[in-house]
Amino acid sequence: MDTIQYVGEHLWPGRLGHFAIILSFVAALLASLAYFYGTQRRGLPEASRWKNIGRAAFGVHGISVFAIIGLIFYVMINRYYEYQYAQSHVSDDLPFRYIFSAFWEGQEGSFLLWMFWHVVLGVVLILTSRKWESPVLSVLSLVQVFLMSMILGVYVGFGDEAARIGSNPMMLLRDVMDAPIFASADYTELISGTGLNPLLQNYWMTIHPPTLFLGFASTVVPFCFAIAGLWTKDHRAWLKPAMHWSLFSAAILGLGILMGAAWAYEALTFGGYWAWDPVENMSLVPWLVMVAGIHTNLIARSTGYSIRSTYAFYLLSFVLVLYSSFMTRSGVLGETSAHAFTEMGLEWQLVALNVAFLGLGAVLLAMRYKSIPSPKKEESTPSKEFWIFIGTLVLLFSALLITGSTSLPVFNKIYRFFDPSFKGFTVTDQLEHHNKYQLWIGVFIGILSGLAQYLRFKEFNWAKYKNKYWKHLGIGLAAAVGITALTALWVEARAWQYLLLLFAGVFAVVTNVDYIITFLKGNLKAAGSAFSHIGFGLLIVGVLASGLNKQYISSNPYVMTGLIEGAEQDAHKRNIILFKDIPMSMSGYKVEYTKDTIDGFTRTYTVNFQKMDESGAVKESFQVQPNVLYNNEFTKIAAVNPSTRRYWNKDIFTHITSLPESEMDVEARKAIEDNLKYQSADLTPGQVYQFQDTVAVEDQDTFSIRYFNLLVDGIDRNPSHPDYHPEEGDMAIGARLQIQQRGDDTVYTALPVIVLRDQLLYTYPVQINDLSTKVRLSESILDDLLIPEESLDYQEFTLKQGEVAQFGDYRITFAQFNRQPSHPNYEPQSEDIAVGATVQIQDAAGSNYIAQPIYLIRGNRPFNVKDQIPEIGFHVRFASIDPGTESISLLVAQNQNATNTVPVEMATNSVRSDFLVLQAIEFPGINLVWFGSLLMLAGMGVSLWNRRKESRNTEPDAA
Amino acid sequence: MKKVHFIGIAMIGIAIFLLSQVAGDMSTYATFHDADQAGEKVKIAGQLAKDKEIVYNPEKDPNYTSFYMRDSEGEERKIVLLAAKPQDFELSEQLVLTGSMDGDTFVATDMLTKCPSKYKDEEIYIKSEKKG
Repeated sequence: MDTIQYVGEHLWPGRLGHFAIILSFVAALLASLAYFYGTQRRGLPEASRWKNIGRAAFGVHGISVFAIIGLIFYVMINRYYEYQYAQSHVSDDLPFRYIFSAFWEGQEGSFLLWMFWHVVLGVVLILTSRKWESPVLSVLSLVQVFLMSMILGVYVGFGDEAARIGSNPMMLLRDVMDAPIFASADYTELISGTGLNPLLQNYWMTIHPPTLFLGFASTVVPFCFAIAGLWTKDHRAWLKPAMHWSLFSAAILGLGILMGAAWAYEALTFGGYWAWDPVENMSLVPWLVMVAGIHTNLIARSTGYSIRSTYAFYLLSFVLVLYSSFMTRSGVLGETSAHAFTEMGLEWQLVALNVAFLGLGAVLLAMRYKSIPSPKKEESTPSKEFWIFIGTLVLLFSALLITGSTSLPVFNKIYRFFDPSFKGFTVTDQLEHHNKYQLWIGVFIGILSGLAQYLRFKEFNWAKYKNKYWKHLGIGLAAAVGITALTALWVEARAWQYLLLLFAGVFAVVTNVDYIITFLKGNLKAAGSAFSHIGFGLLIVGVLASGLNKQYISSNPYVMTGLIEGAEQDAHKRNIILFKDIPMSMSGYKVEYTKDTIDGFTRTYTVNFQKMDESGAVKESFQVQPNVLYNNEFTKIAAVNPSTRRYWNKDIFTHITSLPESEMDVEARKAIEDNLKYQSADLTPGQVYQFQDTVAVEDQDTFSIRYFNLLVDGIDRNPSHPDYHPEEGDMAIGARLQIQQRGDDTVYTALPVIVLRDQLLYTYPVQINDLSTKVRLSESILDDLLIPEESLDYQEFTLKQGEVAQFGDYRITFAQFNRQPSHPNYEPQSEDIAVGATVQIQDAAGSNYIAQPIYLIRGNRPFNVKDQIPEIGFHVRFASIDPGTESISLLVAQNQNATNTVPVEMATNSVRSDFLVLQAIEFPGINLVWFGSLLMLAGMGVSLWNRRKESRNTEPDAA
Repeated sequence: MKKVHFIGIAMIGIAIFLLSQVAGDMSTYATFHDADQAGEKVKIAGQLAKDKEIVYNPEKDPNYTSFYMRDSEGEERKIVLLAAKPQDFELSEQLVLTGSMDGDTFVATDMLTKCPSKYKDEEIYIKSEKKG
């Protein structure tokens, strides 16, 4: 085959990108090696030369990473779809604000985001870490080597045996896939992008991943310091910088996780903020271990105990981040998680990444274990360090439990390697399973955080201190019991385990508040840890309140209970159907779906809630506006967004769980429309038309027959219809219909409309839900209106006001002038001089019709606007005016071919399509969850700030 | 022995105890046959029988979806899902149901749907207006 000379491709960003990727990889390797020798030769004169080489190499690496990211943005912003990454993540209509989201939607982009933060952190470390620079940067650069390899896209080996290392984001589409389209040289003209998954098109996707990845990335710094400490055998000095970085890391990672929870709660429809989904678990676990590390780090710095555990925790935290990226990126979670990445062929590279750094940490720790200083004397039992250490073990325990059950798919995969027929284990109920165990973790941490806060490091005079201790603990205990009892009135904790957890949360809050007041004397700068523990306590109370008292209000279980067998299954029935404009009653609310509006691809539904008291009076009313997002072709619903009514003490969370088939899917709508059996009839106004339909009776071979009467009441040249928004130049016509089912007294009126706009025909049918009937006008009604002017035979009449003329069988009366004329086809302009004439036409039978033609002068030229009376085929023009005699000239013509009938089509099998299925959940106390978590993280921030200032003021760094 | 060691041993003890409890939370993916036997809540993985009818009629009951699923042994049963029909359900590759048998019908309270990616790499959208 000949090589095709493609046109319209932009190859330079790709070439430059490939070069930058290779350069970045090599530079990272060089930086790691140079810093390695810089560390090994420390103290020798050549060390600084190695360090300078390392710096330069890391700089080149960093610039290359930025260049790769810049080039990817360049091809994405310019929509160069010849690049696979641009093609699969952006599209022509993707708004610019989602470019970032589109960038990190893909695996390669998220690796680059991760590396980007590593580079930024690396630069900060070069500038601040002084004697730690070489070992720390050596490890960090090694991590970068592994991460770069994920986007390297290099083949190793030959032919079919070749293994690909990494997935290069700068690949051309035609190099990635084989498709017939690449036979055309100008294929770039023919392709377009697939765009960003609409689920991800929101601001959370813009802010959550960078925060979370900064959190993930920052766990590498304590890891690097730990390795550096072990490597250089300086087991104490690294503890201080590591402490700062781990506080930073835990705060940012915590914020990232919290944003994920808020996203899940606010924008997705999980119906909660935490689902123990594997992806969530695997971001929580490194955080738990990092928090444990902060605590042992504190012990180590204050007392010299727990240095070994500090090493272990920091090493483990980063390894767990790597494990988490293995879990989410390798596809192993496919069967258990709702939101993992798809497979990309990087499984073995990810395994290698995990094994390498787990091995590095474990081996180094084992080698140095004996030389790590550890006081011979045991911690005294009433000392702070002892109980904090117990707390860190509880955290570790929690992390291991979560990791263990989340790793079941990994276990299954390994097992299947040996026994392919193995079906695999799974946790039956993730939520129940994790809650059951983590409840106890919460109890222990809550109680320990109060218990230990009053204690002192290196307790040397317990005999003197113990009275004060027991007094505060006693008061705290009593206060906590009292407050728990009060809180339990609000939080319905039915099981004693929940009450205990509630107590633990309250206890943590009470004791830590007491600690701030009496021990710190209100010195808030030193209160970082107390803030964090108060936050934790509030979080626990909030979790209990919103979790235990979470109530599906979109159901009315009381109606069912006891009446129907198996009513407990109705507890799962959490959705309610709302028909438009029909109020429904549920859980003390009257709920009504009143309207829906479309803006762009978003369709927003307005649902009114009215809270009723027992007497039925309205206590409160509000609106929620859940919406659905259609896909870019407007053919299907792509995403559903909830809407939440917020109170200080609870949220009411609503989202749409289903819509009529015809609103969710264009094909279904077409199928339904095609399925309608329209009967048509040409109706003479005023005459009753009778018709019938036959309806098959379900499960029987019989049919029921329904009889209808249909009457055309009149024709409306200026019709209104809920879906019709008039524009200038429209030719619109509507027919007023009256429909009645025989045997039923109700007469339904309908005004179907048909509109001709720019040679396009729009029909606006009317659905009568009570009759399951849809009526519309046939386009032939326009034939009478669209008759060419030249085929009309106008007759001229000159009339004064009140004068009458005869036209065939019709009497024509010029009734009066109309100084402010209006007509659907007339758009007044400011300088117009316009006057209308009201013309009355009476037929032989005595029926009266009104025509209102207009005469106007616009820009010194006379115009007139014709009026029509479709019922009798009349065309009336106001041709001129004689100011002297005050008489006017009317041109009147009758279309002899006019049928004078109204062509109506009706289908009697049209089911209603104006409903939605809603789920509404009440979350009490949810704000405590957010406030508590934020306070917990803010406490870390306060600690970090306080420690930085303290270290600047008191102990200058030994450089 | 240090106190920490005692606590360590105690925690390992608790861990072993908890792990023995965890076994109760775990199950292999069951089959309809297993569910018949067990009579209690199980998890079943399988494929939607796309040739059989899927019924979701919110006007009658917004919390009732019925369809047929084939389990890993190829057995096909009617499923009643006590929830609204999820989006793109018809495209699903795999379903994981939680629930129990009620006579011949499997009543599911929870369902996880695994769908093929909507944005598969192989798909190239052709700009029809440019061609035509």
